[in-house]
Amino acid sequence: MRNAVELVAALTSRDLRLRYQGSVLGWAWSLARPLALGAVLAFALGRVLGTGVTVEFLLAGLFPWFWFQGAVQGAAGSFIGNGGLLKKVRFPRAVLPASAVLGATLQFGLSLPVLIGFVVWAGNMPTAAWLGLALVFGLQLGLVMGVGLFVASVTVYFRDLEHITDVLLTLLFYATPIIYSVDLVPGEYRWLTYVNPLAPIMEGWRSILLDGALPPAGHLGASAVLTAAALAAGWAVFRRLEDGFADAI
Amino acid sequence: MLTPSDGEVVLAARGVSRRYPLAVPGQALKTTVLHPGQAFAAWRRRQRRELWAVRDVTFEVRRGEFFSIVGANGSGKSTLLRLLAGLSKPTRGTVELHGRVSTLLELGSGFHPQVSGRENVIMNGLLMGRTKREMEALLPAIVEFAGLREFIDQPMRTYSSGMYVRLGFAIAAFMEPEILLVDEVLAVGDAKFQEKCYDHIAKLQAKGVTIVMVSHDLGAVERFSDRAALMERGRMVAIGPPRKVVGLHLERLAETSPEIRQAIEEGMAADEERLRRLLDEDPEWAAAFAAALEGNPAFHEKLRQQQAGQGAKTDARQD
Repeated sequence: MRNAVELVAALTSRDLRLRYQGSVLGWAWSLARPLALGAVLAFALGRVLGTGVTVEFLLAGLFPWFWFQGAVQGAAGSFIGNGGLLKKVRFPRAVLPASAVLGATLQFGLSLPVLIGFVVWAGNMPTAAWLGLALVFGLQLGLVMGVGLFVASVTVYFRDLEHITDVLLTLLFYATPIIYSVDLVPGEYRWLTYVNPLAPIMEGWRSILLDGALPPAGHLGASAVLTAAALAAGWAVFRRLEDGFADAI
Repeated sequence: MLTPSDGEVVLAARGVSRRYPLAVPGQALKTTVLHPGQAFAAWRRRQRRELWAVRDVTFEVRRGEFFSIVGANGSGKSTLLRLLAGLSKPTRGTVELHGRVSTLLELGSGFHPQVSGRENVIMNGLLMGRTKREMEALLPAIVEFAGLREFIDQPMRTYSSGMYVRLGFAIAAFMEPEILLVDEVLAVGDAKFQEKCYDHIAKLQAKGVTIVMVSHDLGAVERFSDRAALMERGRMVAIGPPRKVVGLHLERLAETSPEIRQAIEEGMAADEERLRRLLDEDPEWAAAFAAALEGNPAFHEKLRQQQAGQGAKTDARQD
């Protein structure tokens, strides 16, 4: 166990260092995408379309979204990207997606002060409800790990899944209340947000940071059940398939 | 004979077989959509195309033994080693291992060219199940053995292939394994380092480490192993004293390849040009040739007899 933890830490630290090696701005680049998209959307949606959506509203959704996307995509390629290693060395396979997820999570953690800066600058002071962020964070981490394990394992045998995942992530971005709020979803489509485990999580980030209130317990509970199911399914599929990785890659 | 036949069995393969599906070109999406019947038939065909890379292999290795596996390319010896290493599961049969296994399947597996040798050593150790602290303790000995003291903090992309080999071997060898599985890697280093590696393996063996090696270096197989086995088309066709097994291997090589037989009959070097071509094109043959010249007096003797016989015949004809 100690070994597995050290291995994940070493892999993650190596990947993060290599990613920003030789770049002047370094990890600050991980802020570029959510900030740029936030600025553009604030202009397009807020000013051009006149919806009145604010920058902090968008950023409170975009920062966690890019964490989700980065972690799932990173995990998805973590087995097929390390074929040589899987073929030649015997080690606990789960460390590869785990380290991809940890890397994306650390990047999100480092960008969190920037997000909180925006939130506070917009006049939202921290409240006791902010403790609930830990819950939302935990839910999203579990969801990402479950989805990541599943996608990474199945992609070894079915390469198309990597591309399917990219498409699905784009759809998920718009299907989840990230650049709009749940309240705006017409009643007849509201069920979509209940079967989407990511929706209550996104709602959670925003309602805690901007309204200082936890989302309804029912929403979080539903998300927790779906997240647990995703984690269990991801792990089961991974365990079922991992023995064949070295031969299939 | 060095064989420590009294030691307990630390590695056993029982009826081990491994099947692989053979790659058959897949169907384009268009065919699948437009001619589902045809696509299904092709899929069924694909399911039946298979290769038994390893067939019903059974053997035991005892503590402290040096066991070598020889065989032609594609005979299944590397697949067998992967099965022993647990990197792939046997389709049938079982593999039993008692003790900590260290494998050296390919040099530089797990090395990342962008980071330093030091970090790669630690990462390799972590991959093999060690802790960071253990690896930091082993690091000086590894670096010393590999002779990389002044380069260990350089990124590995700056290393020569010889440096890769040295570091890779040093890591596997200093992991304090109880069973060391080695696949055809020592052939890469220079002769001096090879010698150092075999010396180190001998030291490990003296400490009771069990070694299983797959090699084309027949000279080394004869010099160092206690027992050897010959693989042929997935089957283990002979197990016994290295000299006999290597001799058999060379005989079989001569039988299977008309060029090799001809070369042997012509006294190996009679047609220098053809020999050179053979050596260039067929590494298997090159290895056999090298071994025959250096490490196998029995073969040499046979060759001389053959040559003498051939010579006599030729002479007779000329007369």
